[in-house]
Amino acid sequence: MGLEKYANKIDEYFARLEDGKAKKIKPSHVLKVISKLKKKEQGLVQEIEVTEKDSKKDRLKRKVLIAREHIKRAEFLLDKITPPVK
Amino acid sequence: MKKYSLPVAIGVLVIGFWFSPDFQQIAAGVAIFLFGMLMLEDGFKLFGGGFLENILERATSSVPRSLAFGIVSTTLMQSSSLVSVITISFLSAGLISLLAGVGIIFGANIGTTTGAWLIAGFGLKVKISAYAMPMLAVSIILVFQKSKYLRGAGFALAGLGFLFLGIHHMKEGFETFKDQFDLTRFALTGLLGLVVYTAVGMTATVVMQSSHATMVLIITALAAGQISYENALALAIGANIGTTITAIIGSLTANFQGKRLALAHLIFNLFTAGVALIFISPLRDAVDWVSANVGISDTDFALKLAVFHTIFNVLGVVLMLPTLRALIRFLERVIKEPALDLSKPKYLSEAVDEFPQTIEIALRKEVKHLYDNAVELITHGLNIHRHDLFSTKDVAKTVAESRAQIEFDIDEKYEHRVKTLYTAIVEFSTRAGSKNLPHDVMDRVYILRDVAGQIVRAVKAVKHLRRNTTIYTSTSKGAASDLYNGLRTEIGRILAEIQRLDLAEPEDRSQLWLDEEAAQVESDSVNSTRVVEELIREGQMDADAATSFLNDSGYAYSAMRNLLGAARAYYIQPDSAMAEVERILTLDEEEVEAVVSDVAVAK
Repeated sequence: MGLEKYANKIDEYFARLEDGKAKKIKPSHVLKVISKLKKKEQGLVQEIEVTEKDSKKDRLKRKVLIAREHIKRAEFLLDKITPPVK
Repeated sequence: MKKYSLPVAIGVLVIGFWFSPDFQQIAAGVAIFLFGMLMLEDGFKLFGGGFLENILERATSSVPRSLAFGIVSTTLMQSSSLVSVITISFLSAGLISLLAGVGIIFGANIGTTTGAWLIAGFGLKVKISAYAMPMLAVSIILVFQKSKYLRGAGFALAGLGFLFLGIHHMKEGFETFKDQFDLTRFALTGLLGLVVYTAVGMTATVVMQSSHATMVLIITALAAGQISYENALALAIGANIGTTITAIIGSLTANFQGKRLALAHLIFNLFTAGVALIFISPLRDAVDWVSANVGISDTDFALKLAVFHTIFNVLGVVLMLPTLRALIRFLERVIKEPALDLSKPKYLSEAVDEFPQTIEIALRKEVKHLYDNAVELITHGLNIHRHDLFSTKDVAKTVAESRAQIEFDIDEKYEHRVKTLYTAIVEFSTRAGSKNLPHDVMDRVYILRDVAGQIVRAVKAVKHLRRNTTIYTSTSKGAASDLYNGLRTEIGRILAEIQRLDLAEPEDRSQLWLDEEAAQVESDSVNSTRVVEELIREGQMDADAATSFLNDSGYAYSAMRNLLGAARAYYIQPDSAMAEVERILTLDEEEVEAVVSDVAVAK
């Protein structure tokens, strides 16, 4: 599911971070994005419930899937950047 | 008149130098003092780098806070002119309200009186040139450092050093001058003295562009016994009127709000001067009373002048403050907001050029202005009304029902509403590029310029699309009409999605919302050729219409890509770490399709 591409993006970010060309991502940054995405996902689910037209429903469902994928990936990123508990 | 002013000024100086070497020292003292002010100003700009602007933005939420900000910032910078120019710049960029701006100007008038105290209380009593030399020596080391903050601190320190040195030379000049000439011979008493010396103080401040420099001259001349106390009071009143000239010059390149602020400054200072002139006797008594109570000797006229300067400025604020809202109404009535001309830049002016924060914010607002104009052209170009599009729950249905041609000249509108703004944005960004702004600000300025470019390309694509879209969608022409309506719907959906992004609270929105739209554009773009081929094979579309559609769909997808690209860059998180997160999470078309098809397979 394109996870290899995603992993490469993260590696690329860490490389840029090492070169001082990227801003350090803190867990709070990722958590903020996750919260936004969850809000959006909930909004889309509610919109599907009141939508009658099938084609629009399908389109909204696609959007929900994408939002969930974003959330999944953000959680993975969070895991990657959170320092291990000693 | 203007072309004679420079030779006249130089002529006066040369004649003065010829007759008196001490005049040279006084003039050089003024020059060094003004040079110090310029360095202090440069230092604050460099040292500021957004810091000063951030404070200004936060500190102006109420009238008392604006007033306090005016007092504190002018005390720190020792220049009410710099504070008023910054305030005009912020007002022009739409960052602060006129009420807050006027509050700051009122405060700056009180803050500027601290200068008189510094000079009268410290400058004349201590040998300040002793401080100036080490300051200058240390400052030059700082000026050559790489860090812009250290450089800024160096310039500010050098500025302060030159201020001190300037005061020292003026003081020395007057001390020796008094042995040769007795200027008190020219002292005038009564009403005539009041009027003449007020005019002299005003002119001196206009010429030197600094009431501070005039006050230093007055106090040093007074301390040296070269002018009478009465005439010094009138000179100080005149200096207060003359200082408004800096704000007036600053407002020439500002928008109507900046001009209102300059007028407020002039009204305030004229009013204060009027009150001081009318009530000069009771004010003198008040100065004597205050001086006696705070232990200032009866013959220390320099300090008494500082007391007078403070009393009449504070009195002005006390009297004007209750009328502040009436003053704002008056300013709004006298200088009217120009009728909204969509073809002209609303936020970009030379007045906002000076500070990093105003540059970025004004540019951001102007790009939004360009986008709003572009949306009008795009929707009308596709014969859709914006209100219908942004209020519908079914974009496809609304688009299919929007069949009547919207009559307008798209080329003419493009020239006036889009191209002129784009040109202004490019010019402004280029100007910003030559200003040695912080890297992160410059990066965002260039991103915004590129966003404007994408918006313009989207409009141009729709310009190409308009003719055939109108032909194929105003009356039903079978499959071709459906295809063109499909393109209109996709563009409409993207505009609606961007509108949703714009209306969302900044802390809720994310450019990731556009991932699905972007993937849909790419898959539709690939599918359109296949769909057209099928329609030709089935005899539902002739080759002519098919060729037109394939050309036009190229324009349509280009418009969509540019709109999405512009929106992504415009709405990306301002915090660069958050923007980094969003960039990592962004899904391309392949990834979106993989997500959707994986779920379909799982079902």
